[in-house]
Amino acid sequence: MSELFYSPFFGVALSIFTFWVGVRIQKKTGLVVCNPLLIGVVLTIGVLLLFRIPYEAYDQGAEFISLFLSPATACLAVAIYGKLPLLRRNWLPILVGCTVGSVVSMGSVLLLCRLFGLDEAMTASLLPKSVTTPIAISVSEAHGGIGSITVVAVVLTGIFGSITAPLLIRLFRVREPLAAGLAIGACSHAVGTSRALELGETEGAMSGLAIGVCGIVTVLLSLLLM
Amino acid sequence: MKIICQIGVVFAVCWVSQLIEAALPFPFPASVIGMILLLLLLASGLLRVEHIQEKADFLLANMAFFFLPAGVSIMNYFDLLRSSAVALVVICLVTTVVTFAATAWSIRLTLRLLERRKNRV
Repeated sequence: MSELFYSPFFGVALSIFTFWVGVRIQKKTGLVVCNPLLIGVVLTIGVLLLFRIPYEAYDQGAEFISLFLSPATACLAVAIYGKLPLLRRNWLPILVGCTVGSVVSMGSVLLLCRLFGLDEAMTASLLPKSVTTPIAISVSEAHGGIGSITVVAVVLTGIFGSITAPLLIRLFRVREPLAAGLAIGACSHAVGTSRALELGETEGAMSGLAIGVCGIVTVLLSLLLM
Repeated sequence: MKIICQIGVVFAVCWVSQLIEAALPFPFPASVIGMILLLLLLASGLLRVEHIQEKADFLLANMAFFFLPAGVSIMNYFDLLRSSAVALVVICLVTTVVTFAATAWSIRLTLRLLERRKNRV
């Protein structure tokens, strides 16, 4: 029976279907918590467990989807390229903010991981969790982390940052749109950026820029740290 | 044919990045090398955005989908998660707040210093 599921078409179709359900649910509810990726992952795992389909069967198709990860990351360059004039005009605050943000993010993760007594693999998986998923997953796996744990941590962080962004802006009395946008992008990447766009154009653009700059800074930092 | 060419360009950049990754003596992710390479190609004018626009739009708009399998593979790590789920959630929450504050404050400080210098000149 389970041989039937050992086809690449099965895994791809299941992934597309569950992700589509996730997108629909988010559109209907408008809630950040209803993240399509999160819903897609939960539904896919649910289907696999319910019908006792081995992960290896699903993986036949998963491989084809994962093939696009690297190209998708590379294409972040197109998004950054569109914002180069903005980067040139505000390069100093952007560079300072993203560097400080990345250092503090990785530093605080490292500290807390030690505090909780997590092992090296877990620590490596969590370290890059504040940057966008494609970069986080590459950094994590390059340093012995577990990619899937990184994905979950990245999505969790993104959702949390996005929900609390307006609250954090008030709590820390951030009045400059530039600072608010970069701070949102630095701690909650693309999920936060969609929220930043709702706050204002400058906030959105800055948040988007922070994704790329923090990503590169984090890669460089990970070389020093590990 | 246009889309196929664009896929060709992007995949070629990714392949070259893998070669560079293999040649580097330290672990630097190939996908990030690809991103930097593509940015250099665009900035230098060797490649124009039009050459990869549709492909890039498609990949960027559907970015989250490509991570679905990576997320699903967490079912292989349920045991590991059970023991450290609380730590994971706490770490995600605390560091997000700390990172937000640090970034916002460092930028505010930079902006103020720039302002002061401008006023003095």
